Parts: sequence; structure tokens; C-alpha cells
Amino acid sequence: MTLVRSLAPAIYLIAFVSGGVLMGFEMLGSRYLFPYFGGGIGTWASLISVVLCALAIGYFAGSAIVDRDPSQRTIGAAILVAACWLALVPATADTVMQGILGQLGAGPAATLPASAALLLVPLTLLGTFSPIAVSLLTRSAHEAGRVAGRVYGVSTIGNVAGTLLTTFVLIPSIGSRNITYIFAAVLAACAALLLMTPARRQTGG
Amino acid sequence: MFIRSIFFSTLAIALLGLDAASAQNLPPMGPPRLLESRESLYNNIYVYERTPYVILTFGHNKQLYTESVFNTGDDRDLEIVYTQLMTAGLMYARNVRSILEIGTGGGRTSWYLHRFLPDIRVTSVELDPVVVEMSRKYFGLRDEPNFRIEAQDGRLFLSQSKDKYDVIMIDAYRGPFVPFHLLTKEFYQIVKDHLAEGGVVVQNVASDTMLFDAAMKTIGAVLPQLEYYKNDDNYVTVAYDGAARKVEDLAAVAAERDKAYGLRYPLAAMLAMRKRVDPGDTGMISAKATVLTDDFAPVETLKNIERHNRKQP
Repeated sequence: MTLVRSLAPAIYLIAFVSGGVLMGFEMLGSRYLFPYFGGGIGTWASLISVVLCALAIGYFAGSAIVDRDPSQRTIGAAILVAACWLALVPATADTVMQGILGQLGAGPAATLPASAALLLVPLTLLGTFSPIAVSLLTRSAHEAGRVAGRVYGVSTIGNVAGTLLTTFVLIPSIGSRNITYIFAAVLAACAALLLMTPARRQTGG
Repeated sequence: MFIRSIFFSTLAIALLGLDAASAQNLPPMGPPRLLESRESLYNNIYVYERTPYVILTFGHNKQLYTESVFNTGDDRDLEIVYTQLMTAGLMYARNVRSILEIGTGGGRTSWYLHRFLPDIRVTSVELDPVVVEMSRKYFGLRDEPNFRIEAQDGRLFLSQSKDKYDVIMIDAYRGPFVPFHLLTKEFYQIVKDHLAEGGVVVQNVASDTMLFDAAMKTIGAVLPQLEYYKNDDNYVTVAYDGAARKVEDLAAVAAERDKAYGLRYPLAAMLAMRKRVDPGDTGMISAKATVLTDDFAPVETLKNIERHNRKQP
């Protein structure tokens, strides 16, 4: 019981922070895509639908993981891989976008793959967090709904904060590439927090 | 698109007064009448008729931004002063064989050039397909062997094109929206790569915010020679590579091309409005202005910072 309580603040903090990075990176996606594919509503539709696809896949994957090995190590590893992906984006994005533009031209046939190349992997990994977090924080069936509501609520507040902070503070003051590195570092810190907090066994069931 | 001179052209100005400076010269006008309103992927578009004019406006809440004014009785009339200045590039280009416009709107400048230079290939690129449709329906534009409109993002069009142009005109900064990817060093590099030998870039940027300083710095980082033409609140900048042109050389080309093309708005008369821009002169361009890049281009923020009163520009 005490272990669950000690883990909870870290889980909620990471739910908030990774929610912020998730939407912040979606906003940044526009800065990576617009120079190549134009700044229209079509590019935005591609970005948003890829983000939501990633979350859907992440939620399903997370629920499958919950059935097998829902440990803080698992979500720590997922967040760490997402951090590594983000860290590679600034150096490679131009080559990838140019390649997609050259091969596939413009329009949704190009903006969807471009959005996917940028966002699908890291955001799917971040999407696995919430279901696993709910599982780790839930001690008995009757509190599952309450925990799920809190985790998703905190994460969504993080989404809002990430969107606003990225758009109105970070993009006007530092470059998109530097923001991406900051996001990668923040995610790596979250992963470290999870991997270094003493592990606990699931008490339920 | 039309920046400050047009920024004040809210609905009232557009429909009641047109451009204040030129209002007194206009023939008597009828009452405004909405011809068509359309919601496109990019804009809320309203086309008004105020005989003899047809006016293209983009809506933004209750504010309408005049994009184009077409004199239905005279398709070579350039009612808005800066659209006349947009033709200044003709006296810089070494050859005049092909012209590109990014940001067609109602297409007045490109159509004017097509009418006076019918043998020259004119291409105009407009992001919004519905604007293209309106320009054909109400503003007298039509595809002809030497006149072509493409509905595409300007940067996307250029990066997929292998053609080169003697004059590239950029007028894509409509109303409150500035597409950041058309204001970066990388964008101007693509533009430069599509200039023919001795080619020139002409563009319209609002002069009342810090975006102007950043735009000057940025284009100056790619094309070293920078000049502007100013009439009242209308600014048009001209940028090119190589050595600075001498005013007497420009005057000679202007006189020759005015005569050859029979231009209604003579290039020679524009020379009096010419000034050189030194991006390093902090009295002219703010020392705080930085070169915009694909990585860092806070155009919305810059657009909200008013320029301090300094010596012009």
C-alpha cells in the first residue's frame, strides 16, 4: 500500500508532463511539415489524425501490456524510446520530409506519411502510458474508474499546457529544433524517474 | 495579403471609400452589393460589386480585408497603388521572358503584366482554389497561352518546379495571417534558385510591425541587394543578387521598357520613390531583428510588435 502511495505522485507528474510534450510536439509538427507541404488545413488534418491514431494504437497496446507486464519499467522504457526518437528528429527531419515530398508529392498522400514519420512512433509509445499508469495505481476494482478519471484528467491538463506553452512561449522564443531537444530531455527525465524509483509488484488480483 | 494600406480597408473602407488616397479620382460608384460569399478551406471569401468595381475581400470575424479591386470597365487599371509598384521589377531584370507571382488574389498585377506583355510567360500561384475560381468568375482572369494560374502553396510550387523566372513577385501575406514558411531564409533560397540570370524578387510586406525588419534582414541574407519603393503607406521591396544597380542604368532600362511595352504606370516615374535598404543600418532596420529560418520564425509574435518611429522605412 505504501509503495502505491509513493509511486502515485511520480505517475501523475509524468502523466502531466508527457501529456504536455505530446501536444507540444504535435504543434511543432506543423513547423516541420509546413515548409515542405504548405500550411493549409489539409496538413493540420493529417497531423491531428496521425496523433489520434497514435494514441488509439498506444491505448490498445497499453491495455495489452496491462494483461502481461504492467510495470513501471515497461512504461519507463516506452518513454525512453520516445525520448530517443525525438532526439533524432531535428537532425533527420529535413532529409525525411524532402524525401517524402520528392517521392509522394503533395496532398494527403504525402502529408499523412510525413506526419506518421514524425509523430507515430513516439506518440504511440506515450499513448501506452495512461492505461498502464491506471493499472499501477489501481489497488481494487472499485477504484478503477476514479483512478482512470484522474490519470486522464491530469494528462489532458498537460495536453492543454503543452499546446499553449509551445505555441505562445517556446516557438516565439527558441527554435523548433531546440524545443524538440528540450522535449526529448524532459521525456528522458520522466523515464529516469520511473526506472529509478524502486519497483513494486502488482498487489491486486 | 495587402498589409497596412489594405489593413485599414475594413468593410467600411472597402465599400464606402475604397482607397482614401485615390477616392477622389474615381468615377461615381453605385451602392455595394454582395455578389457571392464562399467558405473555402482557407478563407471566408466575399465578393462585392460596387459599380464599376468588383471587390474581393476575405473575412475574419467581422473584419474584412480587401484583397483585390477590379475595374470591370478597364482590366488594365491597377486601382491600389502598391500593385502598380509591384511591377517595378521589370526595370531590374536582365531579360523579361517569364514572370511568376506568388499570391494571386484577384490577379490584378499578373493580369496587367499579361495584357501589356502578351508575349511574356506569366504564371501566378494561389493557395486557395476557391480564390482562383472567383478570380476567373468575377475578375476577368482566364487561361491563355501565356497566362496560367496554379492553385497551390507557393513554396510547394517552387520546390517542385524546375522553371526559372526573370521576375518573381511575392504577395502572399494576407490580412492577419502570415504564412511563416514564405518568410524564411530557406524559402528565399528556393526563390533565388528559381531566378534566371539577372533576375529579381519583388515583394509586398507590411511596414508597421517588426515583421518588416525581420523580413528585410532575412531576404537581405539571401539576396544582397535590397531596395524599396514607397508611396504613402505602400511599400514594395526589390531584391537581387550581384552588384548594385545604378539609378541611371535603371532609368535607361525603364525608359526603354516603358516604350517597348507601352506600360500605363511608367517604370521611370517609380524611380523617384526608390530607396536603398542597408540591413546593417540599425536606424533603418532594428538591431533586434533576426534572420527568420524554418527553425525559428515567430511571425505571429513579430506581427504584434509595432515598429518604433524611426527614420523611414
